[in-house]
Amino acid sequence: MEELLEILNDINPDIDYEKETNLIDGRVLDSLSIITLITRICDEFDIEIGPKWMRNENFNSVKAMWNMIQAIEEDE
Amino acid sequence: MSITSFTFVLFVFAVLTVYYLIPRKWQWTVLLAASCVFYLSGGKKSFLFVLITATSVFLAAMWMQKLTDTRKAWIKEHKKEISKEEKKAYKKKIQRQRKWIMIAALVLNFGLLCVFKYFHFALAQVNAVISAAGGTGITDTFKLIVPLGISFYTFQATGYLVDVYWENIKAEKSYPRFLLFVSFFPQMTQGPISDFEQLSGELFAEHDLLYDNYSRGFQRMLWGFMKKLLLADLIQPYVTDVFANYSQYTGLTVLLGAFMYSVQIYADFSGYMDIMCGMCEMFGIHLAENFERPYFSKSVAEYWRRWHITLGAWFKRYIYYPAAMSNWSRKIAWASRDRFGKFFSDTLPATIALVIVWFCTGLWHGASWAYIAWGLVNGFFIILSLWLEKLYIIWKKALHINESKWAWRAFQTIRTFILVTFIKVLPEVGSLSDGWGLWMRIFTEHSIPHGIHELLPALAENGNKNFCIILAMILLQFIFSLLQRKKPVRDYFTGIPVPVRVTVMACCVIVLIVFGIPASATRGGFMYAQF
Repeated sequence: MEELLEILNDINPDIDYEKETNLIDGRVLDSLSIITLITRICDEFDIEIGPKWMRNENFNSVKAMWNMIQAIEEDE
Repeated sequence: MSITSFTFVLFVFAVLTVYYLIPRKWQWTVLLAASCVFYLSGGKKSFLFVLITATSVFLAAMWMQKLTDTRKAWIKEHKKEISKEEKKAYKKKIQRQRKWIMIAALVLNFGLLCVFKYFHFALAQVNAVISAAGGTGITDTFKLIVPLGISFYTFQATGYLVDVYWENIKAEKSYPRFLLFVSFFPQMTQGPISDFEQLSGELFAEHDLLYDNYSRGFQRMLWGFMKKLLLADLIQPYVTDVFANYSQYTGLTVLLGAFMYSVQIYADFSGYMDIMCGMCEMFGIHLAENFERPYFSKSVAEYWRRWHITLGAWFKRYIYYPAAMSNWSRKIAWASRDRFGKFFSDTLPATIALVIVWFCTGLWHGASWAYIAWGLVNGFFIILSLWLEKLYIIWKKALHINESKWAWRAFQTIRTFILVTFIKVLPEVGSLSDGWGLWMRIFTEHSIPHGIHELLPALAENGNKNFCIILAMILLQFIFSLLQRKKPVRDYFTGIPVPVRVTVMACCVIVLIVFGIPASATRGGFMYAQF
């Protein structure tokens, strides 16, 4: 979780990621930030985030992202 | 069957009666039958192509689902005996098969779309190359009639197919149900392009006859008819005249014509959506919204998130993200990181994906260089705002601009409206050179029009009546848009005493019959149906 928070803070340090649960639906992160985020997650965790994971609910909060990463690792 | 005809209104009320009379669990079959009747009334050949799309996508999705289920069962059965590598190899083998099934179905469906929509355009390009080389071009004798709504139902069906491939949803097992999803008549000709999860939940649920649904649905339908018949159709002759003869009019007349075109296309397209969403509400069905007060946007990117929302969402989901996150896109970004820096490599994948998306968006709207240019100009402004975002922040700080101030937000809204209007008219005049000519006319012809007949040519000739109706409708639309910021206008309307409400609605119906129906009789159909 720490690595994920580090990536997110690097992209936009002005957001309270531990409290925010509406990152995508509330347009807190724009589409460019999402792509940067995905690229960083893929590199950092050595996983492949395919388009099938591109659902708002997977990116709305840190917890949702963390669950997604674990699901992908399990899937691979 | 024209949506603005009395026949259509009768058809809807007949379907509604049967819909609420039969057992709730069979309600969806009434919608399927109505969709078949609606489509067959537009021609048997068109319906045949809907069947081809529905059948091919249904079978391909079922086949992919069968392979997925087989894979899951095999892994579960052999969990203890196989290694991680064997499991991976098996998954890969199944995934390859699924991929080929999806590709075959996509090629068939997009192939049909391309043949009907782009054949003449492609042949013209081939002929241009042959002529440039000194040869004789191929004579274009083919007469292809584009099946009704092909761009919309192809996108909706292929979106479902890809979702099944990505395993985001399970394939629908009932063919009649799937046929209804593809051919649901209110959204067949102009969208919205719905996703399966959302629409199937609405279509196959059991709906009770509720006064609220009926009343609110009717109100929205009425407002949709007013927008179409009293605004879009009344402005149309004026805009058509200005665009056809722009070289003879003053720059100010042409500029006003361009703004009126923006009003016309919004009233036309959103009017259709209001009619269809209102009608669906009467069936207890909530369609996805396609508009969110788009002319109040503060940037071109925001405008496209609020105009034709479901098309934008389709492109974002199935083209933008897959392209921006593809291996080749990420490799290019990584390769450029050391040389050009972090910001460049972070922004590059999104930029490449946006160019692809806006090229496709242009092509989706029309088979011409003018539409491709229109798409790319939209993309250019969105990409430019991405690259200049940091500079923009510095500039705003230097000029002490307070973004929360009313004046700044109004400036951004007006600037965006002017910009999208200029982009919008580019493909609408005819060829790309005509679009360019119209732009030039606005910027280079500065004479002052002599009187109202020169400023609003075709409109002034039709007398004061149409002019007053158009002005009243624009004002009403503007007020409604402002009210919508807080809650739907119908919520305000519900607060009015019943006798006043009934009188207002009766007056609207009378105005529609007296002024709208005669105007619509001489006009064409809906503008977005051509796409």
